[in-house]
Amino acid sequence: MRALDPRLRAVLGGIADQLIPAAHGMPSATEVGVADTLLDDVVRARPDLVAPLADVLTAVADDDPVSAVARLRSGAVAGFDVVALVVAGGYLMSPRVKAALGYPGQEPKIVDPDDVVRTVHDGLLDPVVARGPIYRPTPGTEVR
Amino acid sequence: MRDADRIDAVVVGSGPSGAVTARRLVDAGMSVVCLEQGGWPDYSTARAGFPDFELVARKHWDWDPNTRRAPGDYPIDDRGSDITALMFNGVGGSAVMYAAHWERFLPSDFRVRTLDGVADDWPVTYEDMAPYYDEVERQFAVSGLEGDPALPPSTPPPLPPVPLNKVGRRGAEALNRLGWHWWPGSNAIATRDYGRLHACAQSTACPFGCPVGAKASPDRTHWPDLIADGVRLITRARVRELVPTASGLVDGVVYVDEAGVERIQRAQVVILCANALGTPRILLNSGLANSSGLVGRRLMMHPFGNAIGIFDEDLESWRGPLGQHLYSLQFYETDTSRGFVRGAKWNLLPSGAPLSIMLPGLWGAEGHWGPDFHLALRSRLGRSAIWTVICEDLPDDDNRVVLDPDTVDDSGVPGVRIEYRTSDNARAMMAFHLARLEEVLREMGAKEIILNGHIRASGWHLMGTAVMGPDPATSVVDPVGRAHDVPNLFVFDGSTFPTSSGVNPSATIAANALRCADALVKARAEQVVPA
Repeated sequence: MRALDPRLRAVLGGIADQLIPAAHGMPSATEVGVADTLLDDVVRARPDLVAPLADVLTAVADDDPVSAVARLRSGAVAGFDVVALVVAGGYLMSPRVKAALGYPGQEPKIVDPDDVVRTVHDGLLDPVVARGPIYRPTPGTEVR
Repeated sequence: MRDADRIDAVVVGSGPSGAVTARRLVDAGMSVVCLEQGGWPDYSTARAGFPDFELVARKHWDWDPNTRRAPGDYPIDDRGSDITALMFNGVGGSAVMYAAHWERFLPSDFRVRTLDGVADDWPVTYEDMAPYYDEVERQFAVSGLEGDPALPPSTPPPLPPVPLNKVGRRGAEALNRLGWHWWPGSNAIATRDYGRLHACAQSTACPFGCPVGAKASPDRTHWPDLIADGVRLITRARVRELVPTASGLVDGVVYVDEAGVERIQRAQVVILCANALGTPRILLNSGLANSSGLVGRRLMMHPFGNAIGIFDEDLESWRGPLGQHLYSLQFYETDTSRGFVRGAKWNLLPSGAPLSIMLPGLWGAEGHWGPDFHLALRSRLGRSAIWTVICEDLPDDDNRVVLDPDTVDDSGVPGVRIEYRTSDNARAMMAFHLARLEEVLREMGAKEIILNGHIRASGWHLMGTAVMGPDPATSVVDPVGRAHDVPNLFVFDGSTFPTSSGVNPSATIAANALRCADALVKARAEQVVPA
C-alpha cells in the first residue's frame, strides 16, 4: 500500500515544484519523482514522517501551491520543516540530481596515513613549531 | 524483587568512563557487572553510502534523546535551558555518536583558580593525568601528531593523523599567513587497521554510525573483549536507585530489567558512569551523597558556535572524517584585555553531505527555495568548510539538573529537568572567537561567511554535576571519585569535573576514569564494603 493517496501526492507535487522548480539546468522536484517513487523511498527510510506529512498536506489541500507554500513558510500552517525534509531529502536521493551536480555520494576513500607526514616534510607546520610553546605550564612545574 | 549475588563492583553506564573502568577492574581480578539502560547500537541503521543516509541519520542517529526516543532514553525537559542536552543511551555511551575529536585538557585547565582567579582548581594536575591520557589514547586508537606547542611534550598517539584534505590545507595555509596556531587533528579515528577497528573511509558519517568501524567507541573498542574476559554487561537495565545500608554504605543498585522485573544487583562497590545528567539523576532519586547540596549543580555544557565559509573552488568537502582535520588553540589561554577569562578551541571540519546544508537551520533560518535552491546547492556542496568553536563553560551553582516530578521513563524512573543559562563571560568569549574566525575565513578566501553563535542543540559535553574535591562541604566526591558521604560509592564520569576546559572532554573523561579506577584498585585492601 502506498503511504499517501494520490490526492495528497498531487498536493505534495505542487508544493515541491514551488520549492524546487526546474532552473539553472537542474530538473524540478516532480521531474525526478519527489511526489512519486522518491516519496516511497523517503517513507521507507522514515516511516515516522508519513503521519505528520499527511497532516500538513491535508491542511493545505485546498490551497493553490503558491498559497500553500506561503502559508507554510510563514508559519500560518505548521509543518514546513516536515515538508522541506521530505522534498529536499527526496530530491537529493535522486541519481539524476547527483549526476547533474557531479556529486558521487559518499564514495569510500580510505585515508592515506602518510598524508600529514608529507605535509610536515613540506614544511607547512614549520612556522607553528618555530614560534614555540604557547601553553601556560602548571604553576610550580618545569614542564617546558 | 529479585536479588543477585554480591559481586566486587557494579558499574552503571557503558560509555567511555564505564568501559575504561571495567577494563581496569577486571584486569585486577575483580568481578564486574555493568548495567546499561540502553541496548547495543543498531548499525543496520548506519546508512553512510546509501541515498537515504541523511534522512535516516536525522532520526536514528539524532543526538537529542527527546527526538530519538530510543528504548534507553529518558525524558529531559530542557525548556529552562539555553542549550539542549545531547547523548546516546546505549552500549558505548555518547561516544557512539560523538565526532571523535580527542583532545587533552591543557595544564591551565586544571589550575583555573590559581591562574585566572575564577572557579576552582582540580585536585590533580596535567602531569598527574598524563600517564592516563597515554593509556586511553592506546585504548581508543587515537590518531594525531606529537609535538603540538599548545601542549606539553607527550607520548606520540598510536596512529598518524587523518589527512588534511583540501579543506584542512586551505585552513592551515590561512592560519600560517595570519601567524596563528594550528595542529593536525587529534581524533579517536583509526587511520590504519588497529585492533578491532579499520582505517577510516572518509564518509563524513562519524556521529551517524561509522560504516567501516573506524571510529573508536567502547561498543567496538572495549565491550567485546571485556565480555570475553568475564565482565557481565546487562543491557536494557534501568537503574532506579542505590541500595543504602544501616552502616552508611551502599549494597548495590535497584534496577528494572528489559522484561520490567525489578532486581537488585549487590556489589562491594558501586561506580556511577552514567554521564552528568544520568549520574545525578540516580543520586537524587536515591537521596544519597548530597550533604554538600551540590548533586546536580554546576552543570556545564560548553557554549558552541560555528563559522561556515563558502568558496568558489571545489574542495571536495563532502569527503573526510567528521573528526577534525585540524584545530587551533591560538586564543585558548586567558587574555583579560579581550573582556573575558579563559578561552575556546576551534576545529576545522568538512561540510559533508548535501541535505544538512540545504535545510533551514545553521546555513540560514529561511533556507533557499525556488530557483535559488539550485544556486545555493551548487555553491555549497563540496565548496564549504566549517569551523566550530567550543567555549569554556565556567561552573555556576544555578545551572543544574533536577528530577522532573512530571515525567517518568518506560521503567517508571523520574525524568530530569535542566536549568541552564549561558554566562556573560561565555557570550563575550563567543563574540570574540567568531570575529577571529571571520578573519580566518576571509584569509582562506571564502566568498560567503555564515556565523552561528550559541547554537542551542549543542549540549554534547555534559560535566560538573557531582563535583570532585577535597572538602566535603564544597564537593560531592573526593579527588579519586569516592563519595564523601558514602565510602563505597564512586562517580567516575564527567560529572566530577570541577571545570570544563574549552576542548572536547572525552579524552579527559576516559583518562580521569582510568585514574580513579586505578586508585580504587590500589586501595582495594582498605576499601570499606557491606557486611
